[in-house]
Amino acid sequence: MFSLFSRRRAKAIHPVFARNNSYFADLDQDQPLSSYEFVVFDTELTGMNYRRDEIVSIGAVKIKNLQIIAGENFQTYVRPHKITAATEGTFIHRITPQQLAKAPSLKDILPEFIDFCGSSLLIGHYVSMDVSFINKAAKKMFSANIKNPCLDTMRLAQVYTETCWEQYHDRFNLQVSYNLADLSRAYKLPVFSEHDAMLDALQTAYLFLFLAKKLKQHNLITLRDLFKAGQSWKNIF
Amino acid sequence: MTKFKEELHAVAPKEIIAFLAGTLPFNELAPDTLNKLSRKCTIDFYPKGTVIFHQDETEVNEFYLIQKGGVKIYLKDDEGEITLKDFRGKGEYFGALPLIQNTRANLNVETVEDTFCFIFSREAFTELLQSAPKVTHYFLRSMSEKLVLTAYAELRRHKVSTRTDNALYLFSAQVGDIIKGRLQTINRDDSVQNAAIIMAGFHIGSLLVRDNNGKIIGIVTDKDLRTKVVAEGMPYQTPVDQVMAAPVMTIESHAVCFDALIRMMKNRIHHLAVEKQDEIVGVVTTHDIMVLQGTSPLYLFREILAQRHISGLYKLSRNVPLVVRTLIEEGAKANNITRMITVLNDHILDRMLTLLIEESGSPPVQFCWMLMGSEGRREQTFRTDQDNAIIYQVPADDGQARLAADYFQTLGEKAIEHLVECGYPRCPGNIMASNPQWRLTTTGWQQTFSRWMQTPDPMEVLNSTIFFDFRAGFGNSELLRDLRNNLARQAKKQDIFLLHLAKDCLTIRPPLSFFKNFIVEKNGEHKNTLDLKRSGLTPFVDFARVMSLRYGVRETNTLGRLQLLHEGNHISNELFTETMEAYEFLMQLRLVHQLHMLEQDKTPDNHINPSNLSDIEKQTLKESFEVIRRLQSVLVQEFKLTNL
Repeated sequence: MFSLFSRRRAKAIHPVFARNNSYFADLDQDQPLSSYEFVVFDTELTGMNYRRDEIVSIGAVKIKNLQIIAGENFQTYVRPHKITAATEGTFIHRITPQQLAKAPSLKDILPEFIDFCGSSLLIGHYVSMDVSFINKAAKKMFSANIKNPCLDTMRLAQVYTETCWEQYHDRFNLQVSYNLADLSRAYKLPVFSEHDAMLDALQTAYLFLFLAKKLKQHNLITLRDLFKAGQSWKNIF
Repeated sequence: MTKFKEELHAVAPKEIIAFLAGTLPFNELAPDTLNKLSRKCTIDFYPKGTVIFHQDETEVNEFYLIQKGGVKIYLKDDEGEITLKDFRGKGEYFGALPLIQNTRANLNVETVEDTFCFIFSREAFTELLQSAPKVTHYFLRSMSEKLVLTAYAELRRHKVSTRTDNALYLFSAQVGDIIKGRLQTINRDDSVQNAAIIMAGFHIGSLLVRDNNGKIIGIVTDKDLRTKVVAEGMPYQTPVDQVMAAPVMTIESHAVCFDALIRMMKNRIHHLAVEKQDEIVGVVTTHDIMVLQGTSPLYLFREILAQRHISGLYKLSRNVPLVVRTLIEEGAKANNITRMITVLNDHILDRMLTLLIEESGSPPVQFCWMLMGSEGRREQTFRTDQDNAIIYQVPADDGQARLAADYFQTLGEKAIEHLVECGYPRCPGNIMASNPQWRLTTTGWQQTFSRWMQTPDPMEVLNSTIFFDFRAGFGNSELLRDLRNNLARQAKKQDIFLLHLAKDCLTIRPPLSFFKNFIVEKNGEHKNTLDLKRSGLTPFVDFARVMSLRYGVRETNTLGRLQLLHEGNHISNELFTETMEAYEFLMQLRLVHQLHMLEQDKTPDNHINPSNLSDIEKQTLKESFEVIRRLQSVLVQEFKLTNL
């Protein structure tokens, strides 16, 4: 019984995850950024507790040829399992419980979203958190994981800041805020309102375009360059 | 599921749509069309200094709308010389012209800041063009705007010799023409202290030294007094010939300034005696030559503010055309240029009156120098006739009234003389502060305006129009503010008066019936020319004035009036843009024409000869005249006039 169950589970991996996992088996990292497709995304949560909290909205937009494709985007509310009167998140993203009650469940949305992402790499601001919430749900609902390589704009911003500092011989200014809105203002990007998954995703996309092109001027050209630069930073801390 | 999916992807993020909806011409689109179009938009980022279009190289396949940042658009000629054409910023676009004409980029486009652009493919742009008649109209009109720009460029190329010629001024102005004031000399036996006293008295930096036969033998400068006398501790009674430089270097008065400059630079001196038929007539300094060369407005400002003597302003006002010339070369629009001229003239007026009041003592009551006509509208070109007046506080008693009358008579008369010396011709209609009729108290002016408006006599209405363009030129502007406020309140109720003004606007026939493409004066001095002011600019000015009076607009500047009328929804958006463009073009044409005349040593006028215009200029001019027709029909409706 047990073995039958496990065999069935292995077989029954949802096709969308099967495709997802196959995309990135042998990713060529040595192409310039403009040749990859990216999905920049953001999630809003009921709260920050990994064990307890859930996704209530997802916003995402595509980048091809290092341009944001306005028409290829993904935005939805997600009905959480427990709809309570209001959570700590409600006050941040201002999505009402009524709106959520009408929204589709994550079980319906997740394959949609993974399908939307296709073979794109994922980008997010502090992306590991968003990915961990997605994979927590994926594991629970589909016993699978998404395998998209991710780029974190927060880390890229740190790389960029460090690159700029290197030129000024003034390395660590710990006053810098790596909050998405603060960075956007500091870099003089068009600024959108915060805490709406779609607009935060769009804001992150702007930030990514900015960083990608600025870093290119500092000779960080391929995907591998960005990965490496991000890691070396991690090592410093 | 599929349907659900489509809905998810149906629209671009709302902030993208919001930006488009707030931008010309996308704001004209129906929400559905806008949503559809916004999905076709891509967004790109160009760091500062990115060249997006390379002139003659880039195949343009996309239309660019700037979301944030800015680009400069420039032309590079065969010699690598760069001409700046335009700056575009947030909400403005580029790439439409090559897309429509299906050509390569005709200009270079380079980001001057970190710039984000919305990009639309050729297909999306074509769809946009066909989406709504208003959008098509917008782009077609902006195409003709592009033509206008080309017309501007042609104007600059034909009529203004190129930048390098700027230096030629040094080659053409003669030393004799730029020496200031009378020759000041001192006898060789006189003391250095006396030399210093004379120099201080005349505000000059040097004196020529004569021997006992009156022959010029040397020069003593303030530097000599500083370094050889004071620093060395020599007694102040030392005769000047002990510290003078001798012999004095001279230059012929017919030599050009460039030669003078070279001679000074070679000998490391700052003064040259100017010789005319073996006689020394003056001194020229490096400073004089720098002033001559100084073509930056800032430089001129500084010079004006630094003047301690009214006579010093005379020469400076002659430099205004030089400054303007630089502006025209750099591609400034007429409105900015006339504003610059106005600011410079205002400074000269301010300085002149300040010095004059220092000389003649404070006025017995508060007053304000009123500027009218084109000065009042801040639309001066070169050598605009004077139109000014004085308004002063109602005196407390008869004694003060007499004092005030006398004081302002002297002030008015003297000021007018000085202004004439500065090169502002007298007003042929004698509307000047030297005319007692136009030196009135606040009450006096109130009554005058009320009389004009309440019992309008057609002739008087015509002659009084320029008064309605008054603004403060110097002194207490509060006095005029009250007058303006009263006027704004009163004028709109004076239907008959407004009717007279409006009717008058219809009497000018825009020269549309062309004789060999143009209506021109048939005889007299200006045979075969076109009066750009009377038949071109005046109708715009008159239109803006009568509409402003009707709607209580306090502004006097014509473009400013149009802007406010537009904001108040008194004129349509289309009429507004067309009018602005036409008016600016006519002003530009006039400025360039006048500058050209000045440079040929002629007195600037408003008569242009159409045969000197290029086809594109003629075309634009014709379009501008068509706008006048439209303005007139607006007035016919507005005032329920039957077309005359």
